[in-house]
Amino acid sequence: MTSAVGLLGVWLTPAVWFGMSALILDGGPDGLWVGLALVCAPLVALGMGSRPAGPLAEPARPDREPLFNVVILLVTVGVLLWANIILAGDAAAWLGAPRWQGIALTAAAGWLLTAWRGCRRILTPLLLLALIGVSVPLVQAARAVGAGPLGAWERVASAPAFRFPAASRWVTAGRDFRMAGGRAPIAFDEEHRITAPSGGTLRARTVDGNRIADIEWNLTPGQSVTLRPGDQVERTSVLRIRFEAGKRVPGAPQTGIAWAEGRAGDWARRAALLFTILAGALALLRSGAAGPTSRGVAAVVGGGLVVGFLSAQAWAVYSVLGAPDLFLGGVTLERLVELPGLAFAGSPWRRPLQAALLGAGLAGFLASSVALRERLGALDRTGGGEIGYDLGLWAGVFGVAATASLWPVDPWRLTVLALGGAAAALSPAVLWSPPNESPAAATVAGLVGLAVFAALAVAAGLRAGPGGVLLAYPAAVAVPAGAAVLWVARRGARRAKAVE
Amino acid sequence: MRAVTNRTKGALVLLLLLAGFPLLSALPNQLAAVRVAGLSLLWWYGGVAAPVAAWLTAVIWIPGSGAGPGRQ
Repeated sequence: MTSAVGLLGVWLTPAVWFGMSALILDGGPDGLWVGLALVCAPLVALGMGSRPAGPLAEPARPDREPLFNVVILLVTVGVLLWANIILAGDAAAWLGAPRWQGIALTAAAGWLLTAWRGCRRILTPLLLLALIGVSVPLVQAARAVGAGPLGAWERVASAPAFRFPAASRWVTAGRDFRMAGGRAPIAFDEEHRITAPSGGTLRARTVDGNRIADIEWNLTPGQSVTLRPGDQVERTSVLRIRFEAGKRVPGAPQTGIAWAEGRAGDWARRAALLFTILAGALALLRSGAAGPTSRGVAAVVGGGLVVGFLSAQAWAVYSVLGAPDLFLGGVTLERLVELPGLAFAGSPWRRPLQAALLGAGLAGFLASSVALRERLGALDRTGGGEIGYDLGLWAGVFGVAATASLWPVDPWRLTVLALGGAAAALSPAVLWSPPNESPAAATVAGLVGLAVFAALAVAAGLRAGPGGVLLAYPAAVAVPAGAAVLWVARRGARRAKAVE
Repeated sequence: MRAVTNRTKGALVLLLLLAGFPLLSALPNQLAAVRVAGLSLLWWYGGVAAPVAAWLTAVIWIPGSGAGPGRQ
């Protein structure tokens, strides 16, 4: 797969684009840096994969890609599709539709497209549709708030506090508390009176001087509770709640300046994430790829990534300007699928533009599903890419991904997990090709890397609470472990040659 | 060897662009928070300058389709 648009489709899935936007919104400069890493990593991968021709060329590729590589890429593609289908389900739930409808529609559309062998021809139109579907609401948002992206950023970064707007659904009709996302309790830093329009159970940990009490209120419809600074509402609360307009959003940065400056850096964690993204890009974009990348491809991919990054930043800024309540309980991807609230309050364009945005998301998903299948098909050199169009195989992949999507998982974390797994299994052999005498060394290295990755990922899952950097990003250990196996194999081959 | 060296150089420049972000944010007296045309220096760098520079770097370093090994 050498098509630049295909590479963009593989890398810039809707989960990655919304993930960039959500990270920027959540962490300010921290998220901006992750976005920059998502722009640079594929370019590094394409540059590192540009093998020179002639005497400096790498050993000729075998006719058949090792089964191990095909299986790993198939699983990676499946997990990436899974992350995007989860996002579709979450977005449907956030917009008030049953979650399963978003999941079923997206998975069915992705699978139906596998039946059309000419679908690669619509890859570019699909990506353009996605771009237009995002750009039009952005332009409309800029007109509505009367500020370009720089002006909008300045307004957000100068906000004295992030407060619930009167038009917020959390203020007007209220929302199911479970929609606040995340696992940690929601902490209040000023007095709030919250109302349960339909009644329900509210569990809170209240602080009264030095006394801490766990309280469970069974509220009747319309009943209110006043929470004071330091109180926390547990995520296990089951009810719809309404906040007061003008109150600070719990979980939001203290001020716009605090958001623009970001939190104190945990640079070990960020370095491990960068390593995972870089090695993941090498595995996803270059493993088994045919031929070097041309300058034209690099120009289109780079341009597309920069446009994607700039639009993700603008989306984050206009979203928070229009709906500061996005911060409630931690920013999640699906909240960004809703049009910026205030900018479109009472606008007749709200519904058509929301439909356009959802259409853009679906177009982006379909483009990515085609590109990911083509990417896998590129490994099937003798079969003419048949694997990318196997209806039975893809029915299984989309079916499993859709079923798994019924359980909510963070799509961004799943994307990072997919990149990490692919990195652990495939990236060592992309960077250091195995010796011609023992091509199986690449598979052994991949298996070692994958085993280390799986062991650390399982350990992270078993551990309650946050683990260390290496448990959070196991590829940072797994890739060097695989590379060490290849180094030993190459050294052994060199010694054997010297003896001959 | 020249081809390999230039290829590594390109990757190195891209990684340096990434490393520039934490270095800029670590400058004393919150220099990165200074606003120019409405945007802070850190956001100008991370959100605009560095991604555009990364794009240009990739276009310059990744060879044209007709290039031989000498031009890598």
